[in-house]
Amino acid sequence: MAAEVLIFNLLSAVAIVSAVAMITMRNPVHSAIALVLTFVNVAAIFIMLRAEFLAAVQIIVYTGAVLVLILFVLMLVNPDDLPEFHSGKPMQNVFGFGVGLILLAEISVAILTRTVVAEPGPWNEEGVAAAGGNIQVIGQLLYSGYVLPIQATALVLLAATIGALFLGRPDEDQEPSPKRRTVATISLAHTRGADDDLIPALRAANIKREAGDRDLIMARDADEFTTSAEEEEKKGQSE
Amino acid sequence: MNELMPEQFMFLSAALFIIGMVGVLTRRNVLVIFMCVELMLASVNIAFVGFAWEFSQMTGQIFALFVIAIAAAEAVIGLGIIMALTRQRDTVDINEVRELRQ
Amino acid sequence: MDANLLSSYIFAVIVLNVLLGLMAYMTYIERKVMAAMQDRIGPNRTGPVGLLQPIADGLKLLVKEDIIPKHADRRIFLLAPLLSFVLAPVAAAVIPFGDSITVFGHEVNLYVADINVAVLYFLAIGSMGVFGIILGGYASANRYSLLGGLRAAAQVISYEIILGLSLIGVIILSGSLSLVEIVNQQSETLTIGPLQLPNWFILSQPLAFIIFLIAAVAETNRAPFDLPEAETELIGGFHTEYSGFRFSFFFLAEYISMIVISLFAATIFLGGTDGPIQDGVWWLALKACIFLFFYIWLRTTVPRFRYDQLMGLAWKVLLPLVLINILLTGFIRLWGLGML
Repeated sequence: MAAEVLIFNLLSAVAIVSAVAMITMRNPVHSAIALVLTFVNVAAIFIMLRAEFLAAVQIIVYTGAVLVLILFVLMLVNPDDLPEFHSGKPMQNVFGFGVGLILLAEISVAILTRTVVAEPGPWNEEGVAAAGGNIQVIGQLLYSGYVLPIQATALVLLAATIGALFLGRPDEDQEPSPKRRTVATISLAHTRGADDDLIPALRAANIKREAGDRDLIMARDADEFTTSAEEEEKKGQSE
Repeated sequence: MNELMPEQFMFLSAALFIIGMVGVLTRRNVLVIFMCVELMLASVNIAFVGFAWEFSQMTGQIFALFVIAIAAAEAVIGLGIIMALTRQRDTVDINEVRELRQ
Repeated sequence: MDANLLSSYIFAVIVLNVLLGLMAYMTYIERKVMAAMQDRIGPNRTGPVGLLQPIADGLKLLVKEDIIPKHADRRIFLLAPLLSFVLAPVAAAVIPFGDSITVFGHEVNLYVADINVAVLYFLAIGSMGVFGIILGGYASANRYSLLGGLRAAAQVISYEIILGLSLIGVIILSGSLSLVEIVNQQSETLTIGPLQLPNWFILSQPLAFIIFLIAAVAETNRAPFDLPEAETELIGGFHTEYSGFRFSFFFLAEYISMIVISLFAATIFLGGTDGPIQDGVWWLALKACIFLFFYIWLRTTVPRFRYDQLMGLAWKVLLPLVLINILLTGFIRLWGLGML
């Protein structure tokens, strides 16, 4: 099965190269794309290791949901505010790479000197095929021996949902001062929220924007920046 | 080398984990650190599935499934925190978030 | 090379080319049908009754200047339409176009692959498809495009959940994630009293079918859920800055994913290649055409949703409905098996 080994090595190489690309890219959107490539390769490796269900779940959950959400959040952040990779903290980088190398050496020793203690189980290729396939086997095991962990996972997911709702709710009581406001959120429903002429807070803060800047002007909630130009004029006159 | 060796996926898993760890230690952008954590979780899944394959067991795959579920929950909470951070502090630089230190 | 693998490859090439050809004429049919519904004539100048119009359109797009905005993120700008275009037809690989036929003494299966996670594979490819739109919107360095990309991300994630959950009922009834197995189960006959009905899942899962239909329209970013490219407010959304053949890649991808999701819906809910007389791929084509007509019909009839209405529909209406459907189906299944 030389072809299998070749394919595995190829997939691993692409996964590792794109993982390295992820931590070295300056633009976080490029990092996210590199991570997508890594995850797709990992899913392919799952298929090679007879885990078709996990491969599909990996793609759906990681690349389909988590990375789309990460890209979503990335786009809400002003690219000029993102910290650079090598930015005045050389000790941090040296320390990080040093710890990584030490850990690599340790794990290599552990892998190369390991002794197998486990007995082979019943779920080899024939066993899985006889039970009807990967999904059927996972389903049977999951809902017989792992009922309690499933319930616990469901609770964790529920708690995470509630927590996300709590974190994402609009805060009414405290407004950050407009001076500090260089990164914010964008209103999806109102495109006019992207027009900085209409934003009193920005004008007050006297933030100048260069031509060709890619920054975003954001609305905290849907109604904040949808005041029409006429209303703005009226306000200006009354002042 | 004609057979797929268990060492291969173990080294792959270790390499991805260490790359993720180095990323967490060296990068300053919260979102990139977050992506590195996701990569570390995925690399652990490779080890789980690989051992399941080596010993013809299913336990590893089931654990990997739980890890993916927990990773999804972690992603939701993490991104919620990052959104709250950008709204409150206007930064995603991890070195500027030091409320607990001072 | 393995003969089975080779025949799969050849069949995949045929499916891909048929899809591309169909897509070109899908635009023609869409314009004609819309014209008829709006009391116009539609394209009628290029060739007999305008039949050469899609070819003329394609040629025009190919020779147009390829513009890359100055502040665009160049690499991602070039990558995004390719990503969209490549991922759209890949999902068609698991759709069964019939049983096996014999060609030159070889048994050839009329599907590219029969994998035991086919439904999940379809959802996975569908969830990857949105990357092209998000990245295209981001890389254009245009606020309208970015808004289109953001809207696409939120919309597709929400409706992906609805789409997946609406299929759970079918999966509970069929007990399999393989599309070939699902089609085989639907070719059986269902007898209710004096009635002899085909065992199509639209009859046992009508609610899931309607929800799937709505979610599929949103998933392919078609009217009335085409918020990412809403031309009246976002002037084209994520593809504002794209021109020439890069724009045509997005365009192609949208129509191909429309055709593929129609084939998928026909396979899951309408029995696929099963028909009253002489089963075959023509029944599948007919059923898919009904879905495609429905798409065009919707576009001419229903005005575009507002963004909050779109999200509200997904999370406040469709999600509870689809969960109720799963619960009911589970109970009925257990009752049918005598385990309740």
